[in-house]
Amino acid sequence: MAFASRRLGKELSKIHGNLPPGITLVTAEGFEEWLLDVQVLDENPIYMGKLFRLMFRFSKSYPIEPPEVTFVNTTDRPIPMHPHIYSNGIICLDLLSTQGWSPVQNVESVCMSLQSMLTGNTKNERPEGDEQFVASNRRRPRDIDFYYHDNTV
Amino acid sequence: MSETPALARQPLPFPGSHLSDLSQPYTIHTDVEVDRGNSPETPSRLTSSSPNLSDHSISRASDLNLRHTIDLRAITYDGIVDENLVCPICRCPFIDPVLTDCDHVFCRACIDGSLSHGNFCPIDRLPLAEDSLTRAPKMVFNQLDSLKAKCPCCAKLLPRSGLETHLERYCLEAHVRCPGFLLEQGCSEMVKRGVSNQHCLHYPADCPDCSETIQQAEMDTHRDTFCKERLKPCDYCEVEILRCNESEHVENCPDAVQSCRWAEYGCQHEAKRKDLHLHAGDCHFKSIGPMAGFLKKEINSLRNDVQNLTETNHLQERRIKFLESGQRASERPMELMDLSLANLPEATSADSLDPGHDYLLSLLETQQNRLSHLSAELSDFQGKNTMMLFNETLPLKNELAELRSTQQVTCMHVRWLMRFRMQENQRRFGGGPGPASSGGPEGGAGFGGEPPLSRRLSDSSRDVITKL
Repeated sequence: MAFASRRLGKELSKIHGNLPPGITLVTAEGFEEWLLDVQVLDENPIYMGKLFRLMFRFSKSYPIEPPEVTFVNTTDRPIPMHPHIYSNGIICLDLLSTQGWSPVQNVESVCMSLQSMLTGNTKNERPEGDEQFVASNRRRPRDIDFYYHDNTV
Repeated sequence: MSETPALARQPLPFPGSHLSDLSQPYTIHTDVEVDRGNSPETPSRLTSSSPNLSDHSISRASDLNLRHTIDLRAITYDGIVDENLVCPICRCPFIDPVLTDCDHVFCRACIDGSLSHGNFCPIDRLPLAEDSLTRAPKMVFNQLDSLKAKCPCCAKLLPRSGLETHLERYCLEAHVRCPGFLLEQGCSEMVKRGVSNQHCLHYPADCPDCSETIQQAEMDTHRDTFCKERLKPCDYCEVEILRCNESEHVENCPDAVQSCRWAEYGCQHEAKRKDLHLHAGDCHFKSIGPMAGFLKKEINSLRNDVQNLTETNHLQERRIKFLESGQRASERPMELMDLSLANLPEATSADSLDPGHDYLLSLLETQQNRLSHLSAELSDFQGKNTMMLFNETLPLKNELAELRSTQQVTCMHVRWLMRFRMQENQRRFGGGPGPASSGGPEGGAGFGGEPPLSRRLSDSSRDVITKL
């Protein structure tokens, strides 16, 4: 854990008060679970005026292994509508998979990628088979074999 | 931690003051010290019979040095390190940097970790093999070595490359072996280099105040902060008090800060104990307070009552349910009785902790009695049934036998009549055998001189009868 916590410590001290617009740190207690709020800044009608909460879970092998990133549903923070985001908050993004992850990525860069993924979206819909996936999935997000087919969004 | 003192002869009765813990960015290796041999007769120890300990340890100061390994990722660097010297994976200044084919630099440990998950460069995702990594240019190493870092012990700023040597040889705050290590007892403790020219203080001693036994080296800390029998100034007033009486004193200290007696009901006033009476007259809660206290007591007693009633209610509900189920079971047909009763013991054992379990048990017993009674009755009934059946079938059997014999008799009669009829027919159409016709087969045999034709006829007629 030492390696991961040291790297996260460095990220945290860099993040403090110095995040790109639209991204705010909510809690970072310890080096296992962080919460951040993300907001879409342009006038995308799907996400206008809404805040979304992201939960990062770090393993002992971070940053060699990707963190587990999901949207969380709270009373005032919904799960964003997106063809790659399931209604239980699981995100289908190759950057967050074991194959697509690179250890030079960090919490800030992941947040920015997700922010731009939302900004560029025009479809107000959930992925195909969302209900079935949400009802049946018991795996952790990084263990799911998503098929990354759509490069348009 | 790798602290296995190679020469610890006799563990001291007190936990040693191992001052390096996990949070420290360096590790002290007590097991890789210069080999001095294991026997106490080693010349280096016994040559000096001089009791002058401090001279001895000073002369051998270098023998007390311990090897230090610094975790360069955990130390603090001076100012902000140039981003170009920071590994993009661990975000620390490079440690043993290597260069990839695609001109990116990483720490060797970091890129090794990354390559174990996929053979590509973490920055541009180009294919990358472990054996294609080369040592980073000397210039990079030089730049890294000259980075100023804070000594984890004395906080002095030093070039990163010299940090280990500094800790091992010069830093006054770094740990070395206790001078007692060179003596015959071979003390296995560590002390700061700054005090290593003194005697070994790692022996048990009695505190002069509380007579507790403590290591001499820790005596000062003990007497200053822990010893119960030492005086210490009160945190609130000026009085000096014994540490063991501190909590008692604070409860009565006139200068200790205390909250208003109605704080429980919302008064936020806090004052020194001696000034609190001034507030008592003005407190807004002084009239509400007693009322609130009274109400609180009332509410508590009511809450207790409610709880008792809920419990009783619960118990009674359970009893009613049980009685209902018992009634239902007794209404069921006989063959289901067994099943419903078999379920009962489970239900009761699960509730065995309930205060009403005695009652349930007694009910169960009654039901069991009834069950055994019923099964006895059942077997009785079965016996009776068999008896009755037997009695009824016996006359039937007799009658059947009678009928069978009657039928046989009738059969005989029919046979006789048939034969009679046939013989009559023969006589009428065949012409002749005459008077012997009534003699039957035996009689027929008597006509030995009959023509062959009639003989055959008689034979064939006999055959017909047998077939009947």
